[in-house]
Amino acid sequence: MSATVGPRSWPVYLTLLVALSLEVTPLPADLAAWRPPWLALTAIYWALAYPRRYGLALAWFAGLVLDVLKGGVLGQHALAMTVATWLTLRFHLRLRVFPIWQQTVAVIAIVATHQFVLFWVDGVTGGAELSWQRATPTVAAVIAWPILVAILDALRLRLRMLA
Amino acid sequence: MSPLSQTENKPLFERGPSLGTRMVLLAVLSVALMFLDHRQGHLETVRRALSVAVYPIRVLVDMPSTSFGWAREKFTERNRLVVENRELRIESLRQRARLQQLAALEAENARLRALMESPARLANRVQVAEILAVDLDPYRHRIALNRGEQAGVYIGQALLDADGIVGQVVRVNPLGAEAILISDPSHATPVELNRNGLRTVALGMGDVTRMDLPFLPNSADIRVGDLLTSSGLGDAFPAGYPVARVTRVERRPGESFARVEAEPTAALNRTRQVLLVWEGGEAEASPFVVPPADVAAPRTGEEPE
Repeated sequence: MSATVGPRSWPVYLTLLVALSLEVTPLPADLAAWRPPWLALTAIYWALAYPRRYGLALAWFAGLVLDVLKGGVLGQHALAMTVATWLTLRFHLRLRVFPIWQQTVAVIAIVATHQFVLFWVDGVTGGAELSWQRATPTVAAVIAWPILVAILDALRLRLRMLA
Repeated sequence: MSPLSQTENKPLFERGPSLGTRMVLLAVLSVALMFLDHRQGHLETVRRALSVAVYPIRVLVDMPSTSFGWAREKFTERNRLVVENRELRIESLRQRARLQQLAALEAENARLRALMESPARLANRVQVAEILAVDLDPYRHRIALNRGEQAGVYIGQALLDADGIVGQVVRVNPLGAEAILISDPSHATPVELNRNGLRTVALGMGDVTRMDLPFLPNSADIRVGDLLTSSGLGDAFPAGYPVARVTRVERRPGESFARVEAEPTAALNRTRQVLLVWEGGEAEASPFVVPPADVAAPRTGEEPE
């Protein structure tokens, strides 16, 4: 019987791929610092939606691909994504029932941790200066998260992805 | 009917390692990766394999700007094309006239060098590469190129544009390459003053319009407007290409070094195409300069067939 077949997985990989592309899409120089951490947000969304299917391993691997894509130190984004997803999974039962504004606040806290890990790795490997631009991705995520949730919720509804 | 509870409910007994354990394992793995990559550079094979997989993403992201350029080319008015064509012709004529002189100068230079018994300078071979429109790490000045190993690109290779030195290749994949710009804070370019041959080092400042020259004493003979060219020391860049023009000289009596800043001559953030340089290549050598036979030309890669 098909009852044991879980929700389809290709939309998950597709959206992660789109998020990866958005991470390196050229932006005007003034906006470049305001790029939300798309990949982390997408991974957090899928971890919240299917906490027992898409978890740490997927996030870690996606982070590794992002490292190669951005040409940074291998493992930097992998570590940050692991930490962010771990926090998400740790609190997913609470996060899932939050209203969207409260969920946004919680996700921002996770994203801030994610950004801090990135900054910390930059600092250890040399060449990190603390500037206000370090905080802008987190601020951008405030706007990006509700939009992302709306789009991906609609996608799941359209594709009748259950759970 | 709905299978939602089957997959999503927490099972009575946990299988496999707990969440915390897995997270610690992956974190340790990440840190180990970072250590191996940053300290030892052992992971080039892993990076190469992944970068081939990642290359389509870069091309995909680059596609909108490429197709925009293509569309702009297709739909420009005939008049403008004609005008542009005429301008380019005049430009080309002017360049050719100067090139005639260059051939004579090159021949003279070769004769003089022969008289002084110093080895002749070899001509450089160049190939055009496109910069992919991808934003890499915002805190570093890196660019992605569409030429890689299959075009003979190698680590440390110099990049030029029409106006000067752009940067050098730091990472080569089978299909593409990554380069560091001369404006990256971790990059230093060995330069010399075109006017008097004063040698120094120009450091990037993380700003595409400024470079820092921190090692010039207050008494150094340098003025605003001086041209800095690559000195060829350190074997990173071919000698004699323009790098930057001095924009600011501030002599500070209380300090041992003057504050000197320069602006890169190359259009670091506007250029779409760069030239990859192979030093001492056999192609494109002027007929007047005969490379000495006993100098074994370094292996410089082939043109793609």
